[in-house]
Amino acid sequence: MTYEEAEKELAGIVERLERGDAGLDEALKLWERGEELYRFCAAQLEAAEGKIEELAKRVDAARPAG
Amino acid sequence: MKMEPIVYGDRKVFTVAVFNQGVAQWLQRLPTIWVEGEVTELRRQAGWQTVFFTLKDPETGACLSAAMPRGQFDALRLDLANGERVHVYGRPELWPQKGELRLRALSIERFGLGEHLAALERLKAKLAAEGLFAESRKRPLPRLPRRIGLVTGNDAAAKRDVLTAIQTRFPPAQVVVAETLVQGRRAAAAMVEALAAVAAEPDVDVIVLARGGGGFEDLLPFSEERLVRAVAACPVPVVTAVGHEQDTPLCDLAADRRASTPTAAGRLVVPDLDELLAGLTRSRDALARGARRVLERHAQRLAREHERLRRAPALLVERRRAALAQAAGRLRALSPRATLDRGYAIVRRGGELVRSTAAVTTGDTVAVELADGRFGARVE
Repeated sequence: MTYEEAEKELAGIVERLERGDAGLDEALKLWERGEELYRFCAAQLEAAEGKIEELAKRVDAARPAG
Repeated sequence: MKMEPIVYGDRKVFTVAVFNQGVAQWLQRLPTIWVEGEVTELRRQAGWQTVFFTLKDPETGACLSAAMPRGQFDALRLDLANGERVHVYGRPELWPQKGELRLRALSIERFGLGEHLAALERLKAKLAAEGLFAESRKRPLPRLPRRIGLVTGNDAAAKRDVLTAIQTRFPPAQVVVAETLVQGRRAAAAMVEALAAVAAEPDVDVIVLARGGGGFEDLLPFSEERLVRAVAACPVPVVTAVGHEQDTPLCDLAADRRASTPTAAGRLVVPDLDELLAGLTRSRDALARGARRVLERHAQRLAREHERLRRAPALLVERRRAALAQAAGRLRALSPRATLDRGYAIVRRGGELVRSTAAVTTGDTVAVELADGRFGARVE
């Protein structure tokens, strides 16, 4: 699951719950799923350490002097 | 001239002249072709039958001697000067006297900015006709790329600007950088290769192709057909940031998104972390609120049902009481009182109703009941 997919599903669940017409069982399941999605998204944002990797230069020393 | 070697025992030896002659003849089999280069060391003198010049590769400095009969050269009326870019049509030959390779020029065409522009326009029209620049081909950029590819020159500024913009806006960003040539004849091929290498990296969801400002010719590789096609065919969306705002190399047209500067490109490919976190928190709050609302609604419904249930027995008694009252009313309507009101009387003797004169004899005491009361009487 990508962040976008999780975020989109979460928004859908919030909307569904905000309408307030869900059955009790369904509402609880939605809520649990929403919390799960929230944790997934938050983890994506917080766990990752920024990283810059240099891909091995395939074309080097090709520039002529001057 | 005889091409035979001299034989010394088991060794065959050629004279210089024969060797040169042989190579020259072999070279004549090569095809006539166009060569592009910069004119240097142009030597044209009235007394000479041939005009000599050197073609130099502006990128690598590689040189090629060239020669053209003076009459032919003058007839072209090119008025060439050193440093000009030309296309020379000719074939290689060996100058036997010196053993030097040179290009025998049959025709020369000046290839300058105008020609570059015209060629660019032709290429642009061709690629546009193929639909390479169509809006419908443009893909949306991912909201949160897992990894970001960056193809950039080793000129530090563009690379630094992109990275700074990305890291400021979204510190957890994962970037994979491929430095490559961005200028000169070999740049386009190098960039195509770098683009492919970055795209092949796992989890790369978007690629930035960036280069700082430069002259018209410096940016030409970004308009080369193979690079433009590679950008269009890239398996993930590409954001270009090449040169300055006013420059529009063809790769910009094929890109999924064009940024005005490397910094703008960096900002385009990542979300703002603070905004993202705030949005996520809002979602979570809304989630809890929504769940509570559903719960409350169900609780309210339950309470209403319970209230109705509780009131049910009382309601039943009330209903019966009403039915009873109604029955009483009807009963009253049927009582003889109404008859008494109209002036009739009820006569009782010893508690029995007197329905007939035969039921009494003279001297009996009877009770007479009227609407407003009763009295006793004696039968006469």
